[in-house]
Amino acid sequence: MHGDETQREPLTRRTLLAAAGAVAAASGAAVAQQGAPKGRRVWLDMDQKELDDAYDQAVYAPNQEQIAKRRVANCEGVRARLGAPRRFAYGPTPVEGLDLYPTKRANAPVQIFIHGGAWRAGTARDNCEAAELFVHAGAHFVVPDFINVIEAEGSLFPMVEQVRRAVAWVYKNAASFGADPDRIYISGRSSGAHLGGVVLITDWKEFGVPDDVVKGALLSSGMYDLKPVRLSKRSAYVKFTDEMEEQLSTQRHLQRINCPVILAHGTYETPEFQRQTREFAAALKAAGKPVTLLVGVGYNHFEIPETLGNPYGLLGRAVLEQMKLTSAA
Amino acid sequence: MTEHTETMTALKEASGAVSAAQETSPPAGRKGPPVWLDMDQKELDDAYDQAKYAPNRDQVLRRNAANSELARARLGSPQRFAYGPTPVEGLDVYAAKRSNAPINVFIHGGAWRQRWAKDFAFMAEPFVHAGAHFVAIDFVGLEETAGALMPIADQVRRAVAWVFRNAARFGGDPNRLYVSGQSSGAHLGGVVLTTDWHKDFDLPRDVVKGGVLCSGMYDLKPVRLSARSNYVAFTDAVEQALSSQRHLDKLNCAVTLVHGTCETPEFQRQTRDFAAAIRAAGKPVTLLVAEGYNHFEIAETFANPYGACGRAALEQMTLGPV
Repeated sequence: MHGDETQREPLTRRTLLAAAGAVAAASGAAVAQQGAPKGRRVWLDMDQKELDDAYDQAVYAPNQEQIAKRRVANCEGVRARLGAPRRFAYGPTPVEGLDLYPTKRANAPVQIFIHGGAWRAGTARDNCEAAELFVHAGAHFVVPDFINVIEAEGSLFPMVEQVRRAVAWVYKNAASFGADPDRIYISGRSSGAHLGGVVLITDWKEFGVPDDVVKGALLSSGMYDLKPVRLSKRSAYVKFTDEMEEQLSTQRHLQRINCPVILAHGTYETPEFQRQTREFAAALKAAGKPVTLLVGVGYNHFEIPETLGNPYGLLGRAVLEQMKLTSAA
Repeated sequence: MTEHTETMTALKEASGAVSAAQETSPPAGRKGPPVWLDMDQKELDDAYDQAKYAPNRDQVLRRNAANSELARARLGSPQRFAYGPTPVEGLDVYAAKRSNAPINVFIHGGAWRQRWAKDFAFMAEPFVHAGAHFVAIDFVGLEETAGALMPIADQVRRAVAWVFRNAARFGGDPNRLYVSGQSSGAHLGGVVLTTDWHKDFDLPRDVVKGGVLCSGMYDLKPVRLSARSNYVAFTDAVEQALSSQRHLDKLNCAVTLVHGTCETPEFQRQTRDFAAAIRAAGKPVTLLVAEGYNHFEIAETFANPYGACGRAALEQMTLGPV
C-alpha cells in the first residue's frame, strides 16, 4: 500500500456491502482492509487492491465453487430429461462446436447463450441450465463452445471472432434444424455478457449476414468498457492492448447497436460489476437505444444467472417477454 | 482432529463454504462426550443451527422478501381468509384462474419462530400459472407460545382442515389438496401428513393427497437434545406427538422429500432417515437430493417449475411443465 493518502476508509465498497447486507460474505475482504492505508487511486476512487477485488468474484461471492458444482449437477439433470443436445460444428477447429437443445415447434425462434467464466473457463456442456425454459416455451436453445483466453495466449480476439461466427452459423443454418433465422436472440452472463455486447456491435457484412441478425439481447453481469478491467489484476492473464480495449469495449460503439437490450445485475455483485451494467444502461439510454435495466435484489454474480432458467425468475421472465413467448410451465 | 470433526470439515469444504467454515469451525479442542449418534454437544448444536452451514441466510431471506413483493405486484393481493379466531390465524390464497382447481397449502419455515405468509408469495406463480391455488398460511411462532409447539401444530392442522371445508369459497377442489413445507414448515407438514383427520377433525382420512417436504425434521429427539431446547419447551409428550416418523401408520399419501447437499449433517440425515422409514413401511416416497444447495437455497426451488421442489410439487399434482 502506498502512503501518500490519508487512512481513509474504503467507503465505496464498504458502503455498498453494508447496504447489501453482505456482512458474512464481506467479512474476509473487510478484515483484509482493516488498518491498511488506502493506496493511490487507480480507477475512480479505488486503489489497486480495491479494483482488483472488484474484478475478483470470489471476494464478493464466497459460494462461487458451490454454485459451480450445482450448475454442473443441474445441467446433468437437464440433459437427463431433454436428452443429449445435437452437436454442430460452426468452424474448423475442434472447439468450434455448439450444442442445440431443439424445441418441437417448427420455424421456432432461437436463443443463443454465451457462457461466462472470466474468459478462461466454461463449456457449453456445463451451461445448459436454462434449456428447459426455452425448449418448452417453443424456442431452440443454443450454447456455443469457444476458445478461452489462456488457449488464445491472452488475446480476447479469437474468442470474439468465434462467438460471432457461431451466431452467423446459426443464422445461415437455421432452416436445417427447424429454426427461424429472423428470430435469433442472444443472452450471456459475466464474461459471456461482455462477449454478447461485442456481438451486438459486430459489422455483420464481414460474416455475410444481415445487420439486424440479432433481434434482442439479455446481458447479465457483464463488462462493457474494458479500461478498468485492464487496470485490474485481470491483466495478469488477459494481454490487453489499446486496440483490444477500444474494439471490445461495447460502450464505445453504441451506434452499431440495433436491437433491444436487457441488462441485469445483482445487488450483491462487486461495485464494478454493478457500475459497468448501470453505466452501460445509462449510455444506451442517452444514445436513444431501447434498454431495460433489471436489478436483482439479494443476488450475487453466480446466483442471478440461475434465474434465467425460471420462467418466473428475474431473467427468465424478461427473456420470454423479449422473445414474445409464453412459458409452458 | 477427531474423525467426526474431519467429517464436518469435509462436508463444509465440499459445499464450498470455505470462508464460512473459517469463521465457524469449532475451536480446536477435544471432542466432548457423544450426545447424539457420534456428535458431541457442540457438533449437535451446530447441526441444528443453519447459520453455521448457510452463511448467506440473511441474504437469501432478503431476496425472498423482495421477490415476494414483486410476485404480489404481478398477481395482485391474495384473498385473505381467517381459519380461526385469533388474529394470526389467517391464510393467503393466490388463486388460479381455473375453477375447481387443485390446491397447494404451503407451510413456511423459520425455526418455528414467527414469519409471515406474505413473505412466501415468491413461490406462488408456478402454482397459479399451472392452474393450482397457492395457499400460504400464517400461524403463531414460538415467541408467542412460551416455547410450546403444540399450539403451532394445532393451528396448522386447523388451517388445512379449513381449506378442505372451505375450498369452494375460492374455487378450490377439496379432493385435490396437497401440502408443501420447508424446514420447520416441513416438520409441521410431516405432522399434518400423520394427522388422524377422522378422529381429530371428523374429516375423511385422506384429506391430503400428497406432500413435498423440504429440509424438515421428522424425529424431534435430537432436536430436543440440541441448543434448540433453549427456546423450544420440549416434553416427552411433545417429542412423541410431533415426531412424524413415529406415526407412519397414519401416513396415507405420496410423499416427496428433498434436501440439499450443503445442509447440516442432521438436516440431511433427518430427511434420509424419514425417507428410509417410509419406504420400510411400504409407503410411497421419493427422495430428492439436490447437489450444491444449502438450507435456504433449496427452498427457493419451489418458485421454479424447473427447479427441484417446484417440479416435484407440480408433478405430484399432475401439473408438470410438460
